[in-house]
Amino acid sequence: MTEQRHAEIFALVRSNIYEVLPDVEGREIKSDDRLTDLGANSVDRAEIVMLAMEALSLHIQRVELSGVKNVGELVDALYAKSHGQ
Amino acid sequence: MPSMPSRMDSDLFVTGCGVLSAVGQGKDAFLTALLAGDHAFGVMERPGRNNGTAFLGAELSVLDMPERFPRKLLRTVGLSGRAALLTLHEAWEEARLSDADPLRIGLVVGGSNVQQRELVLKHESYQGRLDYLPPTYGLSFMDSDLCGLCSEQFGIRGLACTVGGASASGQVAVIEAVRLVRSGEADICIAVGALTDLSYWELQALRSLGAMGSDRFADEPALACRPFDERRDGFIFGEACGAVVVERRATAAERGVEPYAKLAGWAMTLDGNRNPDPSESGEARAIERALTQAQLTAQQIDYVNPHGSGSGVGDPVELAAIRGCGLDRAAINATKSITGHGLGAAGTVEVVATLLQMKASRLHPTRNLEQPLDPEMNWVRDKAVAQAIEHALTLSVGFGGVNTALCLSATET
Repeated sequence: MTEQRHAEIFALVRSNIYEVLPDVEGREIKSDDRLTDLGANSVDRAEIVMLAMEALSLHIQRVELSGVKNVGELVDALYAKSHGQ
Repeated sequence: MPSMPSRMDSDLFVTGCGVLSAVGQGKDAFLTALLAGDHAFGVMERPGRNNGTAFLGAELSVLDMPERFPRKLLRTVGLSGRAALLTLHEAWEEARLSDADPLRIGLVVGGSNVQQRELVLKHESYQGRLDYLPPTYGLSFMDSDLCGLCSEQFGIRGLACTVGGASASGQVAVIEAVRLVRSGEADICIAVGALTDLSYWELQALRSLGAMGSDRFADEPALACRPFDERRDGFIFGEACGAVVVERRATAAERGVEPYAKLAGWAMTLDGNRNPDPSESGEARAIERALTQAQLTAQQIDYVNPHGSGSGVGDPVELAAIRGCGLDRAAINATKSITGHGLGAAGTVEVVATLLQMKASRLHPTRNLEQPLDPEMNWVRDKAVAQAIEHALTLSVGFGGVNTALCLSATET
């Protein structure tokens, strides 16, 4: 895992969160933040994931992300997928 | 013996309204524009309206959304949804519906396939990369998304549905709202005539069908929309949205709200016809049934707000029906000459136009009525006129042989 790449994906997810949830824009996003706690409903969560997948040109089945519990785990899953793991 | 109005009264009233059109957003701006005979016609420029084409129409300026609507929501709401939220907001505030029981409020959205332009933009944008189609498309492709949006944002908890009747949809929605209150399923029902957001596909087909103009005035947009004029060559599209609140006098009185007018009679008839062709007998039957229900004679109608789209065949047929029903004494103008044809929205917007003119005791002019098809009719032509209106009739016609008529009567004060 290159830390820089991981940090880039985290920054990407953060910007996607800001886009879908403009009310938290500028707020610090931490790895253990849950999207639900940031104000995301189920559609918002799907939109955030889709925006990240699109930016990374990833194809991930929704079921593969079903166990993801917080922002950090989402970033980990996207990172793993983008490195073919 | 006269009795006190109660929840069981059969008389229904309009107690609030909202409107958006390219000539004016909100009732005050809209009425001012109507009375001035303004227009906003030009070559349409919204993305998804052109594909090597140049269709004439009237497009809304930027919508100023009130703060009550979260930015998070608006990110995924298209033009039709924003227009519905905004007009409902205006009607809601006027009728003070925040003071009403949300469980007893219903919503009827008039219009079908109202977000075609947004869908075309989505299709074009995600062609070849379908995996990244935004999940909200799964909500927004359905017209009933407007019901979801509005009921969520205003806390409506009674019932909601969409109804369609082509270009009569907006008036069909008002009639359905009336039925729901009459039947007791809701105490208050709001009808929204949804902004029909056409893409170049629908515009092209409506031209091919011979319904939409304008070949004749392609280079003179201000002259292209000319209902009831000899040189008309079809309707001209205009973005619009309207909302009206329907209820009994007693429920309005509980919130201290004064009605605009009484919904005295209504009717919907069919021609048994899939085509765009109008039917004089079908339109006449709608007028007669609405008058009968209102217990009025044609001679008592002071003002007719016709469908009057500028259609080659539709306009003369409508005039024949109006004359045939004995309505030639009534003043007549054409709201679409100013707003353009809002399709699904038109019927509701024209109910609002009628209510505002009744309240102002003024009738708006008819743009481009240089050579009226029937010069003997009591036209309001170049300038607005002062006129007290006790009883008005507003008419809509839709493809598929749909005819509607709605009779509005001034309330006793």
